[in-house]
Amino acid sequence: MSDFILGPFWNFAVIVFTAGVVGRIAMILMCGLSKDLAAARGSSVTGAVGTVARRFFPRKETVKSNRFHIIAGYMFHIGLLALLFFAAPHVQFLKNHLLGFGWPAMPHWAFILSAEIAFAGLILLWLRRVMHPVTRLLTRLDDHLAAWLTFFAMVTGCLALFESFAGLRVLHILGVELLMIYFPFSNLMHAFTFFLSRGTTGARAGRHGVKA
Amino acid sequence: MSSTTTYEPELDFEKGADVLKRQIDWRVASYFSSCVHCGLCAEACQFYVETGDPRYTPIYKLEPLKKVWRQEYTFFGKMAKALGITKPLSEKDFVDWEDLVYDSCTLCARCSMVCPVGNDIAYMIRKEREGFSAAGFAPDELKGATKRAVETGSPMGVTWKALSAQIKHIERETGLPVPVDVKGAEYLGLLSSLEIMGFPEYISSLTRILHQAGVSWTLSSETFEATNSGIQIGDSKVAAELVERVLKVATDLEVSNIISPECGHAYTAIRWESANLIGKPIPFRVVHIVELLDELKRNGRISTTGKTDVKLTFHDPCNLVRKGGVVEEPRRLLNSVASDFVEMKQHGVMNWCCGGGGGVSANDRASGLRLAAFNIKKRQLDELGVNTLVTACANCRNILEEGIEHNEMDVEVVGLTELIAEYLDPPEAGESDSTS
Amino acid sequence: MNKSRPKSARALIWAGVLLLLCTVTLPVLPYIWASDSEDITSLDTVENNPRANFWRNVRTGAAGYSAVGGPEANVLINNAGQNWRQFRMNLLAPYGSYLMGAVLFSIAAFYALRGPIRHRSDEPKELLLRFSVYQRVVHWFTAILFWILALTGLILLYGRLVLIPLFGSKGFALTASASKEAHNLFGPIFIVALFMLVIEYARDNFYRKGDLSWLIKGGGMLGKHASAGRFNFGEKIWFWLVLLLGTIISFSGIILDFANLNFDRNTLGLAHVLHGIAAILFISFSFGHIYLGTIGTKGTLRGMTTGYVEQTWAELHHDRWQPDDEMTPETGPLPAAQNE
Ligand code: SF4
Ligand code: SF4
Repeated sequence: MSDFILGPFWNFAVIVFTAGVVGRIAMILMCGLSKDLAAARGSSVTGAVGTVARRFFPRKETVKSNRFHIIAGYMFHIGLLALLFFAAPHVQFLKNHLLGFGWPAMPHWAFILSAEIAFAGLILLWLRRVMHPVTRLLTRLDDHLAAWLTFFAMVTGCLALFESFAGLRVLHILGVELLMIYFPFSNLMHAFTFFLSRGTTGARAGRHGVKA
Repeated sequence: MSSTTTYEPELDFEKGADVLKRQIDWRVASYFSSCVHCGLCAEACQFYVETGDPRYTPIYKLEPLKKVWRQEYTFFGKMAKALGITKPLSEKDFVDWEDLVYDSCTLCARCSMVCPVGNDIAYMIRKEREGFSAAGFAPDELKGATKRAVETGSPMGVTWKALSAQIKHIERETGLPVPVDVKGAEYLGLLSSLEIMGFPEYISSLTRILHQAGVSWTLSSETFEATNSGIQIGDSKVAAELVERVLKVATDLEVSNIISPECGHAYTAIRWESANLIGKPIPFRVVHIVELLDELKRNGRISTTGKTDVKLTFHDPCNLVRKGGVVEEPRRLLNSVASDFVEMKQHGVMNWCCGGGGGVSANDRASGLRLAAFNIKKRQLDELGVNTLVTACANCRNILEEGIEHNEMDVEVVGLTELIAEYLDPPEAGESDSTS
Repeated sequence: MNKSRPKSARALIWAGVLLLLCTVTLPVLPYIWASDSEDITSLDTVENNPRANFWRNVRTGAAGYSAVGGPEANVLINNAGQNWRQFRMNLLAPYGSYLMGAVLFSIAAFYALRGPIRHRSDEPKELLLRFSVYQRVVHWFTAILFWILALTGLILLYGRLVLIPLFGSKGFALTASASKEAHNLFGPIFIVALFMLVIEYARDNFYRKGDLSWLIKGGGMLGKHASAGRFNFGEKIWFWLVLLLGTIISFSGIILDFANLNFDRNTLGLAHVLHGIAAILFISFSFGHIYLGTIGTKGTLRGMTTGYVEQTWAELHHDRWQPDDEMTPETGPLPAAQNE
């Protein structure tokens, strides 16, 4: 079983993930977009770059009413990205299997801290999702699956941290594989497509001379 | 191009569904792919903020379009539809969403400014309306206005006769000629029916200012209407037809510039959508009157004297700030004639809408909602404690006055152009002594 | 209706700060402990049999010389560990299970005899907002973490007894290891949750006049109507118990979580004893809380899920409660208003 998870299933997951993500983006771009013929008032390139950058931060006018969400959102995303790219086993993995070079991993205490921040953020966001009338209305099964799969991958990852048991590591890899397979079919895709959506909004706004 | 002279909307689900499908471009597809259902856009929309009803969450208003996208462009969506797990788009979707798409959205685009993944929600709602109007699901008043606009040239049925009567009156009052059908003029002036009927001060102010600036301009007796019901109801064919009428007289009169009146969506229609509606760039420069005034002022072609010391504030028309980037121009103008200009807390690109844009003002059944949405404006005004509110859109002005009256507030709404005209130096004939 | 959630946001910020502080500064605390740990017992009494004396001495936990550094590294045999083990296996585990079993049994018996408490249910139902979104989120945040910790903790305490027969010792090794890691990982988050919970709920949980008479009337379970405000005295007691037990568990838990950081055995043993006792009590009380919040009293749970309770429910259980109008905008309209 663990041979299967570490071998063929891993390859399968990688293929589905890569092909899926590329395919999804291609499918989006293939929908076409008619050229804006109106005389421009500003630059669409500056607009696009600006909006992609600016939307990493909430507009100050909206901070007050969305504070809970903003804080929890940052907690989850920052924690998760730290784990993803700076956990020692991940750095090692990326170095050995993907990139050929590595970078300093974070120390153990930072790992634990990131994990805790990410977990707190994820749980809080998910709870808000099921409690708030707005998100309740918008939420679909997809959102739950995405949240739970992420939770599962994260939990198993933390349990496998000391690698005292090969079984736990295999479980973590299974979690990651499931997440990767599900990824292209879900709105987890926002991790890639946010570039497109922010960019295109920014480009249009930029042309219109609006700082979006 | 053959011109449409009638508009007879019919209930036609198939057509609507088809049009809706064709609205999905890669921009829309990327938006739906990115949306994480976080609900942050809700707090940006005054219809949600003021009612607390989650149905007014901006992205929720797009469920029908999203359904089409999901079932046509996503793996699971296609599969679920094929297996009969999810129901395909049906007439019921149109019925259930009509009020969300038309009554509770002013196309103000405030939500488009806050979405963390950058979704331009207003852009999509505008597109979604194409499907709804094609299917015949739109408020009756909007259908009526569109029909009148196509058939008579004005959504309010204002005729040239009515306008020329106003012009005569204005000429008498100002002692200045109002140029009509002057071939070879530099600028073509446009008006909105609302101005002609409700705020003719705009026309006399325009006449006086442009006269002082020595701008050669003209009105056209053939097409004087700038507003575009096709854009509000979401009918590109009608919108293109109305835009083409403007472009035709502009060509006939050999002008090189077109002035959009104090109207937000008219500006969007002519400045930003016209070329895209007719499918080729237009050979005219289009400016909003506020842009033109600012330009003339900075070039020293108009000068003003004195300032009002009345405390006043400015209501940004959404179309100017969030679709045209016209933010600084009105402020420069205001500061030149007012010494106590104060800003509302949320202004410029994050202003709150009057509550009546995007055709909501014409929609009777939305009046309760519109007044609820106005509450946010009321609070903003109360906070500042001003009694004078300046704006640069006749529709905003109308809706603001409605809200002010309904709430029995002591606030006067003034058009920016009028305010500038009041402080012209030297004052032109007519209102020379009316400044205070 | 202008919305602001300064209070909730502030609590969240503080929670974040606390989490940061806990995780960053706590590792330093052990050094303070380590510095004043017990003195080295001197070896000055020599009795008849030097060898026997030597071992007797060793058994008292005497320190000798060791090249290995660290607390007690120079102590060969320390009875405290053995004492702790005996407490855990002979007292905590069995009596803990008796207590939890007894609580569960009494609840079941009570349910069988008395059944659920029902309020009059009128149609159409008029709804009142009892908990805001933030209050519900914080409650469930705490609840989820509580159950993760309770489960993993119980596995660690009773796993040998219950799970080894089920999964065999190899499977249990994995479960136990995973439980331990999860317990250590989620523990600090629970502290943050607890903090948020206390901040958010404290205001309405102070003693008010009339609470005692509620208690005397047995909270309405003895037949007579017992009057209460937004929270009745029972709920208030539960709130303060959560705070008390939660604090004990948190502090002892922190010590145990960072056990590798130079705590001596006695401190760890004490922390373990307190942690175990408080946890068992906490879990036992939570059974009661869960029973009353779900099947025990009809209509209570929806307050914590949707935020709204029925008017008639409120009249029966919380007649002196005056709903807070200001809470509405944060949570959306009454469901009824949505259908207008
Ligand atoms: S704010 Fe953007 S991502 Fe969030 S629900 Fe609205 S549209 Fe979707
Ligand atoms: S465009 Fe304006 S009115 Fe429409 S959904 Fe967005 S914020 Fe609301």
